[in-house]
Amino acid sequence: MSESEDRRLTAVEGGAADKTMSRRGFIASVGGLGLGAFLGGLAVKGFILPDTVIAVPASKGYLLVDTKKCGGCETCMLVCSLAHHGKSNPTLSRIQITRNPFGKFPDDLEQIQCRQCPSPACVDVCPTGAMHVDSANGNVRTVDERKCIGCEKCVYACPFTPSRALWNHEDKHAQKCDLCVDTPHWNEDGGPDGKQACVESCPLRAITFTTQTPIQQEKGYMVNLRNNHWNWLSFDTTDLGREAEFKLPARPAAPSAEASKE
Amino acid sequence: MTRRALIGVVTMLVFVMGIAYAVRIAAVDGSRLLFDSAWWMVFATPFVGMLAAAFTKRRDPRVEGSRVLRHDDAAIVEHWTHGVGTAVLLGSGIALGFLFVPRLISEQAPVWGAMNIHFVAAIIFLFGTFYYAANTLLAQHRFAEHLPTKNAFTFTVQHYGHLLGVKTCHMPPEDKYFESEKMAYIMALVGSVLIIITGLLKALAHVVDVPGAVMGPANLVHDLASIVMLAFFLAHVFFAAILPASWPVLGSMFTGYVSAEQVKKEHAGWYRRLTATSTRDCDGDDSSEAAKVHVTQLRNS
Repeated sequence: MSESEDRRLTAVEGGAADKTMSRRGFIASVGGLGLGAFLGGLAVKGFILPDTVIAVPASKGYLLVDTKKCGGCETCMLVCSLAHHGKSNPTLSRIQITRNPFGKFPDDLEQIQCRQCPSPACVDVCPTGAMHVDSANGNVRTVDERKCIGCEKCVYACPFTPSRALWNHEDKHAQKCDLCVDTPHWNEDGGPDGKQACVESCPLRAITFTTQTPIQQEKGYMVNLRNNHWNWLSFDTTDLGREAEFKLPARPAAPSAEASKE
Repeated sequence: MTRRALIGVVTMLVFVMGIAYAVRIAAVDGSRLLFDSAWWMVFATPFVGMLAAAFTKRRDPRVEGSRVLRHDDAAIVEHWTHGVGTAVLLGSGIALGFLFVPRLISEQAPVWGAMNIHFVAAIIFLFGTFYYAANTLLAQHRFAEHLPTKNAFTFTVQHYGHLLGVKTCHMPPEDKYFESEKMAYIMALVGSVLIIITGLLKALAHVVDVPGAVMGPANLVHDLASIVMLAFFLAHVFFAAILPASWPVLGSMFTGYVSAEQVKKEHAGWYRRLTATSTRDCDGDDSSEAAKVHVTQLRNS
């Protein structure tokens, strides 16, 4: 091989070597390109693509509570906790009974139930989609506990006081009424198409369930669950000028003397 | 003001201002959650760390008269960004509660403030960790000197027992890092990797719909890895900062230097290696002669 050829080959080899990326060059490229691609994508997302608007379908079921009928026994709270968590812990209940010792009837007691709002603020603010509309279960507004990061935004976004989205202090995630969709400790099918533990267990029938969209009023959905028995006890059965719609047989005849002896 | 002090002051100012901003927006405008509004920073920071490493000129340890350069500027930045980030992450995480740790705060502003502080700490932590990872990739002998030898477990028990005064033993000539430190490094490495992977998943959930089947295990692993990091952090702070025996070397995490006498006494193996190899500056690449000799010696050991 001539000297000139040797020099040429050496130059070619040297050039090839120059083209090989060093480890430092590789890291600089990954860092620079990654950062550039990321910021570029962010600009496209922020300035070019339109914002998405998501419509929230209405829930297919609602809990209705009649505070004037509630006796405050807290059975609903205990069974709610039992059905969902397997323990009788009222603080874990998704329905809450609050009392005002200085209030007079009917303001001495309140049943705090989730209204499954048409435009749920709790779902709107959830940063991770943990609080979501469960389309597989009648559009119930509920929490995917695995996705909850514990920011409590839903708790404070709820327009009602106290908040219907609650903080589970034991497992450290948000929770709310799911109409008993997820009740691993209850042998009944829940959800809008099934039963609700609080409805089933309320001894005064002060809680019921409807698939019709209820009418909003200041203190909750308009409902009157009082019946004629209530009237017999001289309690008011009207609500905002409306008679109770609850249909029960008329007052039965007093038992006869013979029947009493039997 | 030296360059090192300037870097320290600027880094500290950035961190303090970040924390102040995080707390302020949680208190003034409660709807701002930084993981929501500035989520992109979480994913951009690793690239910034790598980019910074690519432009960093490292200095290998060397004997300079009566003192030894133990940590260069990059090592100090790596350590403190990672360390302070970890401390604040642990603090804010504990305040928010996880696993069996109860939530210490419950009101709106404190919870969001803690989450925003967690965000700022995550940014610092990610920068420090990826800056370190990229630097390590550039100079793998730095990684090799952190890896424990086959007798590391026995040496670790003996070393900590000796420090606590419950064991008397003769330790082998230690290298740059004690065998016990190398064991702790593995613990921190595993904890950091798990926390970063699961933490990025948690941050990603603010942007896209990550399935619950992924988020559930990710949250659990994140919490468990936090326990590992907490254990490491407490042990590290105690043995590397609180225990008086550690004070001579602790200063090197600020100044970079440790006295040659101290190195001869506590790190005889390392001193022997330093004096046996070239002490000239190198840019940290494995191509340097010092690095090659270093790796060979570590392999042989």
